[in-house]
Formats: sequence, structure tokens, C-alpha cells
Amino acid sequence: MTEKLSVVGKRVPRWRAHDKATGTAKFLADTKLPGMLEGKILFSPHAHAKILKIDTSKAEKLPGVEAVITWEDVPNKLFNPNKLDLILVHPELEFKDTYVLSEKARFVGDRIAAVAAVDAATAQEALELIEVEYEVLPAVFDPMEAMKPGAPKLHDFAENNISVHFDFPVAWGDAEAGFQEADIVVEETFRTAKNHICQFEPCTCMADFGADGRLRIWSPSQHAFLHRRKIAEIFDMPEGMIQWITPHVGGAFGKYGSLSIEPVCVALAKKAGRPIKLELSREEDLFATEPRQRYVSTGKIGLKKDGTITALQEKIIVDGGAYYTHNFSTTAVNMGGFLGLYRCPNVAAEATCVYSNVHPTGGVRGYGNHEGTCMLEQLVDKAADKLGMDPLDLRLKNAKKAGDPSSTGIPMETCSFEEMIKLGAEKIGWKEKRARKKEDGPKRYGIGIGIAMDVSGAQPFNIQHRNAFIKFNEDGSVNLLLNAADLGQNIIGAMAQIAAETLGLNYEDIHVVTGDTDSTLYDIGQHASGGCYQIGNAVINAAEKAKKQLLERAAKKLEAAPEDLEVREGHVYVISDPEKTISVGDVSREAMYNFEGEHLNISGQGSFSPVQNPPPLSAVFTEVEVDIETGEVKVLKILYVADPGRAINPATVEGQLEGAIAQSLGYVLTEEYVSNRETGALESDNLNTYKVPSTLDMPETEVVLYEEPVPSGPFGAKGIAQGAMIAVTPSIANAIYDAVGVFVTDMPATAERILEGLK
Amino acid sequence: MKKEIASFKVNDRAHEVLITPNMTLSELLREHLGLTGTKNACGAGECGSCTVLVDGKPILSCSTLAIAVQDKEILCIEGLSRGPELHSLQEAFIDAGAIQCGFCTPGMIMTAKAMLEGNPNPTRDQVKEGLGGNICRCTGYVKIIDAVMGAADTLSKGGK
Repeated sequence: MTEKLSVVGKRVPRWRAHDKATGTAKFLADTKLPGMLEGKILFSPHAHAKILKIDTSKAEKLPGVEAVITWEDVPNKLFNPNKLDLILVHPELEFKDTYVLSEKARFVGDRIAAVAAVDAATAQEALELIEVEYEVLPAVFDPMEAMKPGAPKLHDFAENNISVHFDFPVAWGDAEAGFQEADIVVEETFRTAKNHICQFEPCTCMADFGADGRLRIWSPSQHAFLHRRKIAEIFDMPEGMIQWITPHVGGAFGKYGSLSIEPVCVALAKKAGRPIKLELSREEDLFATEPRQRYVSTGKIGLKKDGTITALQEKIIVDGGAYYTHNFSTTAVNMGGFLGLYRCPNVAAEATCVYSNVHPTGGVRGYGNHEGTCMLEQLVDKAADKLGMDPLDLRLKNAKKAGDPSSTGIPMETCSFEEMIKLGAEKIGWKEKRARKKEDGPKRYGIGIGIAMDVSGAQPFNIQHRNAFIKFNEDGSVNLLLNAADLGQNIIGAMAQIAAETLGLNYEDIHVVTGDTDSTLYDIGQHASGGCYQIGNAVINAAEKAKKQLLERAAKKLEAAPEDLEVREGHVYVISDPEKTISVGDVSREAMYNFEGEHLNISGQGSFSPVQNPPPLSAVFTEVEVDIETGEVKVLKILYVADPGRAINPATVEGQLEGAIAQSLGYVLTEEYVSNRETGALESDNLNTYKVPSTLDMPETEVVLYEEPVPSGPFGAKGIAQGAMIAVTPSIANAIYDAVGVFVTDMPATAERILEGLK
Repeated sequence: MKKEIASFKVNDRAHEVLITPNMTLSELLREHLGLTGTKNACGAGECGSCTVLVDGKPILSCSTLAIAVQDKEILCIEGLSRGPELHSLQEAFIDAGAIQCGFCTPGMIMTAKAMLEGNPNPTRDQVKEGLGGNICRCTGYVKIIDAVMGAADTLSKGGK
């Protein structure tokens, strides 16, 4: 792309940054509706129990209590809180196993009843007055135990607690033959970490049935339209009778890819006939909303002596928890990452999804690819060790190039892994640091690498459909209407930049309308890093249509042909004679207030359904210090080389990568989601025990944007946010391996585990 | 629970509020004075998102009783800017790209303000140290530290 860009590529302030800096941005917890009641949920104290009797009469009599609901008050309808069954091309591996409130508790934190009262304290008091008679059932907390005959059974349909066993649906080659052909085979079993999103705003929802009979839901969903349809199905309502409003979102990272407390909130609003706000505490958010799946996964890699990979295979036990949610979809993505990162002619994978009485899991940043790629990247380093090769050279040997299929199987328009790896290696001094003496008293030093490719959406596995609408105001500014949740990734600001660039306007001229299903067009929502690439293309499409109208009107005024005009910074110019100009505002206003007729509100509707799915690429280099006496790992430096295609706003792209570095540090070193082995209750129950990294944990970081615009992307952009942890995590694990030879198979790599590995 | 009228001075304005002895400062600000810029992310004094200044010192408003700060000078995020005129820290957070979801931002800015008042020319490591009690889940802190360093520079040159 040779054209000069005036808005795209600039470090402009993110959308609503001013409101967030001044404290005026309203999150749901900051909002009240007139006549609103506050809700509280009664969560099961037992990991596995049947409700024999539930007496709510005392709670109902407490002054201030307006409604109490149990399983008997909610629709007798199973659903899957994961939205993907609505858009998956093959939804047969998705299961519905969840009720709004259940008659049977399957984990400590399962939803038993809910109360609406005049304030939260009264609602809390009422919860304590609900008398539940449980028949406590034997529980099982480990997937291996859960699969054994005679283990306590969670769901009637799942024999041996196995919801599904499936093979990677799009495997290629012959894995067994590939391993026969190999000179060496490396095989390891990993237990990945079940870490929690711990987004900073605790999960909150409001719901209200209006006098017009319509249901309004305020919830920070990543998928307003899909979740609206889910609610419509659960409560047997037409979609159009529901308005879903997405407010500011205090972090998401996949959290709101599932329905969470919305169904309970709606059920309370229905029973009470009043607006309800339901707000979880941090403790409740940690135990009652979805962390990452734990995979117990055996990965196998076969290679020739020269380092050529001949086969890859993965056998996964999915420790998915008490409900199915994202078990299939994250695991399929895990396989795609594991099998699809490198050139390899023979691959196979299979997975067994297992229920047990632990906290159900969901989609978390990286969505399976994070764990699959991490295991693969660690195996590659072990293989390099065995072959006596530099792990960097082994990667270069097998790295994919443009034209190769990405991990989704679609041929890549661009792919410069080789250049990115070499650039990073040069910058960090890879060769010298791998070769140096690695000791200083009890301290050992190491350097590691990880590479990854992610996605720009879920093409071709899901329907991916986006829309945007642009309408001009009288002054030449525009409203850009779209339904994209700004989760912190700055999707809205990036879309405004794309609109401004396409229309020839300034960034400040774009006023975005978003977060309301009534006033925006359909959009599948924020997942799989698809927003920038896909919605960006829809925005360009809308802007081009509106611009065509604009130029046709301007052409008449300027007595020129539309194709001889251009728009720059809010003015239309005759290209050959820039003295002849008119402001966009004058054209727009004239189109509305034309007393001779031919009225028009200049506008355009744009749509996009992708064919391509260009993967953002990452190459990450990490240096660590490991104390062999204490087992403590200190990350010293992380260098992140990323190819986002084109960085629409480099500052916010860097922000995604820097944030992911912190999240990976937490995943590898500090964040341990621990349940009690006897009771199944969560022990890491607040931020003092669930340790999210602070400034003090952060190493020196450097981010390099290796921008290679992709032809199918909006101004060349790909997705970046979701995939940003994927290469960081294995680079840390590989640096530990380089430093002390401890091959980390169980995450997080706590000091105890490092010491154990050193024995 | 026994209620009593107590007087508070928040962002240079006097308020009289009917309080209970167990009311926290964050509850006072958010629920009774409508100052919802101060956030609650953990409710247990672990994350710093509820930080406000009391007599210039940063305190965790979720773990401080309202009754204990009667008649003291309370400053929260809404008191930092004057109409359209932002504090240097707020400007710097916007310009450096230090805000993502924005939920930790008010607490982060208030902690930074107190820190810069005690140490107007901090090193990068001192800023890291000073913000160690404020958790951010989104940014990885790099641009937050950039912003605080930038604001320190502006303030030391006489900016507001």
C-alpha cells in the first residue's frame, strides 16, 4: 500500500479515554435505574448435591425482599452459555447442559436461588434465610478419577463423565507413518494452568421488563446479538422484544464470550416486575465465573536428524469442569495451534472432554491456542536439545511462509516468521546469550524463544458476519454505528480511524454509536481477535458507499466528475485544480436542506463476511534468572516482535502486547487457581491469594511492531489482542529450561515445582 | 443499625450525610455522594482501585470507615480536574495510551498524584515501587509508568 495515510497509523487517544481519566465513564456498578432492586445469588456450598427441599418463605417475609427464585421459577430449559452453537458451521459437538438455576449442584458455586431486595444488604440477609435441604452426593475433582467406572456421575447423558471424545476434524497426512519416518521422537505430558480472567470490573448485570413489554439488558457482553438470541430462546421471547445495551466494559479477555449472570438477572426481573441490578463481589466473580480449561495433554513430535518435523500428535484430556461451555471449541483451537504452527506433513489429535465437580471453565484469552502452542513450543526446545540444535535454527527450519496454510487451513497472504525471528534474535543478542556462562552464585540465567500465530476471526469454522452504518451530520461529521464492545482493546477508536481515513475526514469528526442492539446493525461480536480485521472491512465498505454519495453531490457543486474529486481533512477538492473546493459539511447540509428537492442524508451501510483469516504473528524472546536454592524465577527481559499487519493505532497495539506480557507472567509464575481437594471449594478466593502481577513483577519489556500489511485487511490490519499471550508463555518456560534444565510440564511454574524439577 | 449525621469535605465541598458506623469511605463516595469514579475491584484492600487521598495521603477507601475521615480533606478522581482543564496526570494517561478498560485508572492516578507530591522527580524504578499496590489487568504497566514519568516532567516544569 503506497498511499499516504493521515489518520490510520497515528497514536490518537483511544475512544472515551477522557471519560476514563476523569472518572466520568460509567461502568454498570456506577449506574442505577429508578425503582431498581438489587439481587444476590445463593451459591451451592457443596460440590455435588441434590436439592431435596428448598424453603424460601422466611426469606420472602423479610421486609425489603421483593422476589425469591429457585429452579422452580426459571424456564425448564437447558442451554449452553457459550454462544458458539449459534454460529458454528458444525454445532453437533456443542451440548446444552445448564439451567438458569439448578435442582442439582455440580460444583461449589453452582447457582441455587436468587433474591431481589431494596438493597444488597437486605438481599444478602435474605439469602441466609433460605433453607435448603441437600442430599450431599459423592464428588469427584480430578478428570482421571472422573472417567473411572463407578465414579460419581454429573450429567445423565455423559457415561463415565465423558461428554464427548473427538478427533481433530481436519487432520492431514498419516501421523503414525510420520513418527516411523522420524529419527527422534519427543513426548511429554503437560498439565496446563486453570487460570482466571480476573477482569478488573467484577461481573455485573441489569435487567428490566419495561411497560412496553420489552426486556432491556445492560451487560458487558462481547456478543450482544448472540447473547440476545440465547436469552430469547431461554425465556421464549422474540429477539426483537429484547434490547441489549453494552456499557463500558472493565476488561473481558473472553469472559463475556459466555452468558454469565444475565439469565439469573432476567429471571429475577421477571418475577419482581422491577429493574434488577446483580453485581458479583470479587470472591463471587472468582468462584462463580469461568476460568480457563485445564488440559492434561500428551504432545508428541517426530523429527529427522536435520530438524525437519515429520509428525505431530496430541492426546488431550479436557478438565473442563462441571459444565460443558467451551470444551469443544477451545480444544479444537488448541489442536489447531499445536498442529498448525509449523510445516508438518502428518498430524493427528484427539480429545476427551471430561466433567468433574470443579469450577466450570470458559474461553480465556488465547482460547486453547495459548495452551496448544505453549506445549508445542516447549516440545520443540526439548527436541532441539536432543538433536543438539539451536532451538532458533530448528524454528527457522520448520517455520511457515506466505502461501502455506495458517493454523485455520487457509493459505496465508503474508508470513514473515523467518525475518521476525532473525530480527528479534539480533536485537536481544540470542547467540551470545545462549552461549554464555549461566551462573552467578545460586543464580542461573537463561534465554528462551516462543513463536505463535493466531487468527483474525473464526473463519472458516463459524459464520463471521459484520455490519456498520455511516451517516453524515449537517456539519460534515459522521456517526459511525456499529456493535462492537470496547473491552480495552480500542476497537472503537480503531474503527473511527479507519472510517476517517476512508472518508477523508479527521479522527475527531467520527462520532461512534455502539453498544445497543436497537440502534446498530447485527454483528457476531468480539471474539477470536476478529474485530479489527472484519469490522474494519465492514466500516470501509460503509464509508465507501457514503463517500460515493458525497462525491456525487459535491461533483454537481464543483462542476466536475465524481472520479476527479478527492476528500482530505473534511474538504472535497478537484484533484487537478485544488483551488476548487467545498467543505464536506456544506455538501452534507445542502443535501438535507435543498429547497429544490433531491433530499438525501448521505449515508452508507457496509457489510463484511470474510474469505481469508490472516494470522497475526508473534516471536517472543525472554531472559530469566532462576535461583536454584529457592526455586524462584525472575523474568528479566521480554522482547516481543509482533506482526499485526498494519497497526491502526500503534500505541494501543503495543498496549495489547504489553498487557499480554503481564498476563503470561501471571499464568506462568503466580496465578494459581486452587480448589480444596476435599471439598472442591476455591481457596484462591481473592486477590491476596490469586496473585495478579503488579508493577513489581514486571521485567524490562520491548515491543517491536513488524508491520507487514495484509492485502485483505483494512489498511492491511489483522487481529492482535487475543493472540498476544500465546508466544510469551512458552518463551518464559523455554528460558527456564535453558537456565536450569527444568522442563516445566505443570503450570504455574511455582518455586516448589522448580525445586522439585531440580532434584 | 444506629445512624448519625456526619460532615465530610470532599473535593473542596462540604457534605452532611446520614451514615452508619460500618459505612466505608468508598460506599460514602459512590452510593451517597454519587462520586462513582472511585472503583471497587476487590473490596478487600488488595488492588488499589479504590484509592483516594485523605489529607494528601493515599488510602484504600474500601477498607476505611467513613466515620474515621470526617472533616478531613478528601480528594477523589472527580476533584482532580477543573471543568475541561485536566490534571497533568490525566493528560499524560490519555496521551501515553496508559488506559485500556479504565477500571483501575482513577485509583492509579490518585496513587501517582500522592507519589509525585512526595517525590516530584522519581526514577522509573521509584514509580514502579510507588504503584506496586495498584493492580492493572490490561496494560502490563509500561504505558502507565511512561505516563507518570511524563506527568512528573510536566509538573516539574510548572504544569498543573
